Amino acid sequence: MFNDLNGYLMLAEKIFAILGSLIYFVFALVVVKQVGTMSRNVRDKINSILISVSYLHLAASILLVFLAWTIL
Amino acid sequence: MDLDSVAPDDQIEVKNRMTVSPKIEEVEVLKETESETKKIRETVDSSEEVRDKIYGIVGHTKSPLSSLLINPHIFDFEERDSDEKIILVARPHWITNLSWILTTIVLIIAPSLLRFVPIINNLPTKFEILGIFAWYLITFAFSFEKFLSWYFDVYIITDERVIDIAFNNLLDKKFSEAKLSMIQDITSRVSGVSQTMFNFGTVYIQTAAEVSEIQFELVPNPEKIIKVLQILRENEEKRGGNK
Repeated sequence: MFNDLNGYLMLAEKIFAILGSLIYFVFALVVVKQVGTMSRNVRDKINSILISVSYLHLAASILLVFLAWTIL
Repeated sequence: MDLDSVAPDDQIEVKNRMTVSPKIEEVEVLKETESETKKIRETVDSSEEVRDKIYGIVGHTKSPLSSLLINPHIFDFEERDSDEKIILVARPHWITNLSWILTTIVLIIAPSLLRFVPIINNLPTKFEILGIFAWYLITFAFSFEKFLSWYFDVYIITDERVIDIAFNNLLDKKFSEAKLSMIQDITSRVSGVSQTMFNFGTVYIQTAAEVSEIQFELVPNPEKIIKVLQILRENEEKRGGNK
């Protein structure tokens, strides 16, 4: 009985973590889009660095989804 | 011999007119071109003088992360006309970033402090790894968003107009502009300890344009920005007078 409850809790935590990381992935996509739009409107020296950073952040969010899916 | 039949007067007159009249036109065109060139040269000279005056007041900066960019070579914006020259770009003073920088430092240190909380110590390692990774990702996103909203919140002064570009999020871009000739009144406000210490504040530009007021919020050296705007307005009035 206790083992079953513990198993359900773990499953719920996993689903919660995957959903959370997926929402974060969508947010990271919005950030990439946002930086692109801003860089088109206002152009300066470090815009290319900012765009690269936004893509790295997107890659990290994909890694978060992957970790939530595999290690939990 | 009948001289009129050999060389009639009328034809000679017509021939003379044909050769002389284009010369007069050419001279007139030349005079017009010269006066236009003179006018252009005077305008260029005056605009160069104005620029020298402005650089004398504000100085020169080269760092793209500076709060005041003077005559930036690389900086550009989408709505700029091809012959429009950017004279000054201002961002909020760097000290305005201090609050989010401090918050980021606290967020970075926080996971190491949470180890003293017994409930978190009891979590399985895999949850701990994922939690810490997510925490630092969110911390990074927070500081990156704050930096972006500072970096892309720009106030631009060109030789034709003043512009305020602000992004609050992806779906909210604010663009307001006013021609230099439309500026009616300029005031500034420096209030509080930090603003007085670091000499930054808000410049209020009242205009006769559709946007009644443009605010340069928390910009460094507001008094210098006011001087720059005054010089440009005077120059604009002179140019208007010459036309």
